[in-house]
Amino acid sequence: MAAHRRIGVFVCHCGGNISDHVDVKSVADAVASEPGVVVSKTHTFTCSDAAQQEMIADIRNEKLDGLVIASCSPKLHLFTFRGMAERAGINPYQYVHVNLREQCSWAHTDDPGGATRKGAALVRAGIAKAALSRSLHALRVKTAPCVLVIGAGISGLRAALALADLGLEVHLAEQADEPGGAVRRWGPLAPDGQSGREVVGGLLARVRAHPRVTLHTATGLVAKSGSIGDFHLTLRSAGGAETALHAGAIVVATGFDSYEPKPGEFGRGLEGVVTLPEFRDGADLQGGTLTFRNRTVKSVAFIYCVGSRQSESETCPSPNAWCSRFCCTAATHLAAQIAAQEARGGAAVTQVHLYRDIRTYGHNERVYEEARRGGALFLRYGDGTPPTVERADPGLLVKVKDELTGDAEIEIPADLVVLVTGMVPRSNPGLMDVLKLPVSKDGFLGEIHIKLRPVETVIDGVFIAGAAQSPKSMAESVGSALAAVAKAGALLKKGYVDLEPLIARVDADRCLWCDECLKACPYGAIEKVPCGGKEIAQVVASQCKGEGACVPVCPHGALDIEGYTDAQITAMIDAGIRGEAVR
Amino acid sequence: MRMSTRLAAEAKRAPGFDAQACMSCGVCTAVCPMGYEVLPRSLFRMVLLGLEEGVREHLPKIYSCLLCRMCEANCPAGVRIAENVRSLRTLVNRREFKLT
Repeated sequence: MAAHRRIGVFVCHCGGNISDHVDVKSVADAVASEPGVVVSKTHTFTCSDAAQQEMIADIRNEKLDGLVIASCSPKLHLFTFRGMAERAGINPYQYVHVNLREQCSWAHTDDPGGATRKGAALVRAGIAKAALSRSLHALRVKTAPCVLVIGAGISGLRAALALADLGLEVHLAEQADEPGGAVRRWGPLAPDGQSGREVVGGLLARVRAHPRVTLHTATGLVAKSGSIGDFHLTLRSAGGAETALHAGAIVVATGFDSYEPKPGEFGRGLEGVVTLPEFRDGADLQGGTLTFRNRTVKSVAFIYCVGSRQSESETCPSPNAWCSRFCCTAATHLAAQIAAQEARGGAAVTQVHLYRDIRTYGHNERVYEEARRGGALFLRYGDGTPPTVERADPGLLVKVKDELTGDAEIEIPADLVVLVTGMVPRSNPGLMDVLKLPVSKDGFLGEIHIKLRPVETVIDGVFIAGAAQSPKSMAESVGSALAAVAKAGALLKKGYVDLEPLIARVDADRCLWCDECLKACPYGAIEKVPCGGKEIAQVVASQCKGEGACVPVCPHGALDIEGYTDAQITAMIDAGIRGEAVR
Repeated sequence: MRMSTRLAAEAKRAPGFDAQACMSCGVCTAVCPMGYEVLPRSLFRMVLLGLEEGVREHLPKIYSCLLCRMCEANCPAGVRIAENVRSLRTLVNRREFKLT
């Protein structure tokens, strides 16, 4: 059946990685008379430039229309050889990769004969697949030069500006009535003392003045269709007004929530026990005295790691295991400011900081040093012996074991106790449902690879930025926002995306539209269309991932996945076991 | 032990006292030729935390320091330890012995 094909087979030694245990010459000889094979050779390294040049010459001279390279894992060189095929003038999807190294030589070092026979069988299967291969072409989707940024906090604002500066149209949607996120209310920040209000105010002014950014407040995303480069989106304002958008990418920068301690946790509920955000909002150093909600504070105790780095226990069945990263720096910076006020001749304030480990990493180490030199006392408590807070007369009494004074029980009188609360994921079920974004186990948004692909998600064209992904400082949030800009910008400035053509196809003659494939598809890539007097299924190419769930459920055998058709798989199995039967 | 915020505040204001920068590594205690385990790290910590009882209990040790500066030469946080002992003596002379 494949006699009309002209297939070339190239078997790789991979130095000795393959040829030490697989007799590559006998593999090449064994398949030389397979139907359709006109060339069967070996190379020391098929991936080398010289070998590629020789293979290209063979492809051209022999007018090959099918190619099998038996070498290493396709993870390493599939794209190398697809590129080579293209340069030689044949369709890259008429090239089949066979993995002799991982699947034969490395797997069967103790059985060279068996490894060689298995290699020949796999190459025969590859030839059978190549014999049924078709020219396929990447689906090219034109991208819309517009980005929706969700969340107008520091990350969203910075991302919106940078995207607009790239020449893209940006819509910035903020759920709250006011843009600016958490940072908008904050005073002086570590390490340089610039206030959150200033930082956000500056960004916001630039965003408002930018001709390519449209800011939507009190607005959320309520519907999304389409795919990478070509999303159709609907925004809805609190008043019910809807805006339709055609956007090529989405950046999700929805931020975090502040941990709210449970009643009784470190004295929460007692008068004078406040959280870090409450302290930041209510504290004032103007006039040389530390006041909180207009009452003078002479002594204050800070308790660190509240709501962060928790261990599982009966009272805490789903612990926040993470470090929130910003809180040590925020609290020590407050300490340094209070100390500096005192050094300028202000009223004395006794401040005791009860910590587990101080994590003022990077440049912020200086802030911790400043706080200590300024007279803030730091006292480490053990994980198993957290401090307790109780009412005293007057004020509050904090009891703690000081590890560094031989576990002495110390009672600290305080006017105010500040619980240094961390970040928790912001729950956003409505938005997650629209975006179909997975949430990781800890509740933050999940990236594809924590180190190498930190702002991409499993939904192509949807990127994440800032503390929505994990606890981050402002600098880190902005860094990740700009990383998302780089990814979205690179995608949209190119003007198009090429999608892998290894997707489902429908045989219009066989299909009778029963909707089984529609129900099986998790990507919404099947639609019903009229065709020659009947209704049939059609694959939405830009949404199909080639996953194949539709194929086995079709009662009429009308569906196939390109590159993995039933005919190809059957032929591969037949070719693979044929050799075994002969033996 | 109850913290005296007054003692803590006085220590903070005492001239030449910079033990706040101490990071409690304990090198000073290890190299102290007097061999008292409270010298000088734990003693400073009691003063900083305003633990009056503890300080009172160890009064003789405050005066047994030789001011040899072995600790100071080895302090990774750059605390001027000998100067702090002298400052502490002044503080104790005033508070406990009413000498000034």
